[in-house]
Amino acid sequence: MSSTPQKPSNAIKWFDPRWRQMGSWAFILNRITALGLTLYLFLHLGILSQLAQGPDAYDGFLATIHSPVFIFGEFLVVSAGIIHGLNGIRIALNSFGIAVPYQKQLFAGLMALAILGSLIFAVRMFTA
Amino acid sequence: MSKPHAIIIGAGFTGVATAHDLALRGFDVTVVERGPIANGTSGRTHGLLHSGGRYAVKDQESAIECIDENMILRKIVPNVIEPNGGLFVALDDSDLAYAETFIEGCQACHIPIEELTAKQALKMEPNLNPGVLAAFLVPDGTFDPLRLALSFAATAKSNGAKFRLFTEVTEFTFDGQGNVTGVKLWDRTNDNRSELHGDIVVNATGAWAGQISEMAGDPGIPIHPTPGVMVTYDQRLCERAINRLNKPADGDIVLPQRQMVVVGTTSFEVEDLDYIPVVEDQIQLMFERGAELLPGIRKANMRGAYMATRPLVGGGTTGRSIARTFKCFDHKESHNIDGLVTITGGKATTLRQMAEKTADVVCQKLGVDAQCTTKDVPLLSHRQFYLLPN
Amino acid sequence: MNTKWNVTFRVYRQKDQQTPHYDEFKMEVSPDEYVLDGVERVWAFHDRSLTFRHACHHSTCGACGMRVNGVEKLTCITPIREVTTDGGVIKVEPLRNFPIVSDLVVDLGPLYQRMEAVGHRTVLPTNEAGIANSLKAKKAQEENGMYRLADCIECGLCISACPIAATTAEYLGPAVLAGAQQGGLDRDPHVLELVDSEVGVWRCHSAYECTEVCPSHVEPAWRIMDLRKKVIGKKFKRLFGG
Repeated sequence: MSSTPQKPSNAIKWFDPRWRQMGSWAFILNRITALGLTLYLFLHLGILSQLAQGPDAYDGFLATIHSPVFIFGEFLVVSAGIIHGLNGIRIALNSFGIAVPYQKQLFAGLMALAILGSLIFAVRMFTA
Repeated sequence: MSKPHAIIIGAGFTGVATAHDLALRGFDVTVVERGPIANGTSGRTHGLLHSGGRYAVKDQESAIECIDENMILRKIVPNVIEPNGGLFVALDDSDLAYAETFIEGCQACHIPIEELTAKQALKMEPNLNPGVLAAFLVPDGTFDPLRLALSFAATAKSNGAKFRLFTEVTEFTFDGQGNVTGVKLWDRTNDNRSELHGDIVVNATGAWAGQISEMAGDPGIPIHPTPGVMVTYDQRLCERAINRLNKPADGDIVLPQRQMVVVGTTSFEVEDLDYIPVVEDQIQLMFERGAELLPGIRKANMRGAYMATRPLVGGGTTGRSIARTFKCFDHKESHNIDGLVTITGGKATTLRQMAEKTADVVCQKLGVDAQCTTKDVPLLSHRQFYLLPN
Repeated sequence: MNTKWNVTFRVYRQKDQQTPHYDEFKMEVSPDEYVLDGVERVWAFHDRSLTFRHACHHSTCGACGMRVNGVEKLTCITPIREVTTDGGVIKVEPLRNFPIVSDLVVDLGPLYQRMEAVGHRTVLPTNEAGIANSLKAKKAQEENGMYRLADCIECGLCISACPIAATTAEYLGPAVLAGAQQGGLDRDPHVLELVDSEVGVWRCHSAYECTEVCPSHVEPAWRIMDLRKKVIGKKFKRLFGG
């Protein structure tokens, strides 16, 4: 009995956390949040350029940003920012040779902080 | 005049060293090997660069071969050797009683030894059994098995030798009189079948030499494949080879190998060479015997265990009493089959000399007037084997 | 050794340019045997066309690296009980990020070529051996005339596990950068050029899989970070007239 293995393309080969350790998860999470934040940046600029077209556009926009879907989207951006930022600190430290042997513990600790931070923002954003 | 073509079957120590020697003597060499480099006995060798001390009492021919080749290898291929010496250690009265014959034997074989007090031995090797009574320092060393083979193979390649790995010999080809003219090959990487002819075929298949020579029609090679176990532990408890000072026995050598120690070995006979499972009792024996020399083994974790099959050659006896020396058989003399020689027996330490003797026989058979120069030729980096084109 | 498990080995097969596939071999093995023993049994008793690399069987040659159930392992020291249970499956595949020669055999040529280029020494004096254990301070050892085989056995597991190596074939790779760190930047000026590049020491994105899978205590991850410090040090020196 035999089956044919499949190969992912190079562009997404890095996205395979199966059977990998915490360091790989951190790396993948950082990439995904980076992509998310970059996407957000483009969206943000796009919307701003729309808003530069006058008061009607602005009012129309205000109407949409109060929808739960939009707020959830913003929550994701905030959360991604916290995660990416904190992990970025870990990576910066490691790059200078600091705390490399403790990279796993550092990741776990910083992500705990990230979850905490995200929760605080979630509460503030969804109960405003 | 075109170069004579030698086909060498087997890319273990003997095969690669012979390829190196013949290439230097102006031969076209093709090495055919059914697996990767050194995947038989050679890769699994304990890794002891013998000073010869182990054989200085009962097998002086081997001992002298060892000390001579030890010095040569240190010169021509230092990049795969830890030349840190070795100790022969006495732990009890039986060991101490052996000391005198040991000293005489080493002197007879020009093996330099230095007698140490227990205190000196423990200073050199702090993890040694604190009950050590006496020790002798000898010029043992340890080497990296695969990289030793690759260094010879790389140099041979740089002189024109071709290596066909994962290519199995399925049959010999013969002329009308039963003489060997070449081999039939099965390339296992792409299932291609082919034939290769040469002026001489060298059977360098070690423990399998008997099987290959039977394939050629000569069942008479007295080879006794004799496996033994090796067990590795995950701490480097010594910096030098540690030998038990006594007659050769099971589990009396512990070697450092990178960040491990390797304890060996045992000795028994077997029928099927292609797969030999490890036996639990033998692992236990290695543990006990290793711990006698280095008690720290009791606290270490086992990292691996495996079997390696010595290609012992010779007379009517078995196991530890067979001489560790090597022999080159010209099948024309043994069975009237020309075109084939078999080299087998020997030890890793004597690979260069085995190749020299084999190449001498080959040159003499083919009327080629070329001397061996391998004593003085430094070998290339093992990585060149993969970087030089075939 | 006397317990027997029924294990299925699911082995990657590829010959020449044909489509790869998996073959299954159901075998009775001892759980204390190693995955390499199982692969050898497949060749010895089931399929003589299977090709795989092995030599020393005691983790010093680096030949038997493969992916076992998706994770890079040195199969000679990976007991079967570590990767499966009685009645389970062991998937055996070749290493990633190297061209496949045949079945489980890959072409490690690029690795060897780069190790030569950074001047990694296979044997060095013990006081330069820089034996890794990033959890303890590196012990300075006296000059005692003793030598040590370098820890790196060029097995390629780290490169197979590295996500950057997966996307960029030109990336030098953890083993090579660790090798450059071992040699230092003073022995050969070309090494600095090689590692101070976008496919050198700056390409690492801290996934740390290399250290996770290294079977030989090399710990490439901190060595890459250490190498970054050394590279920056060199550049400062140059800037200020060094």
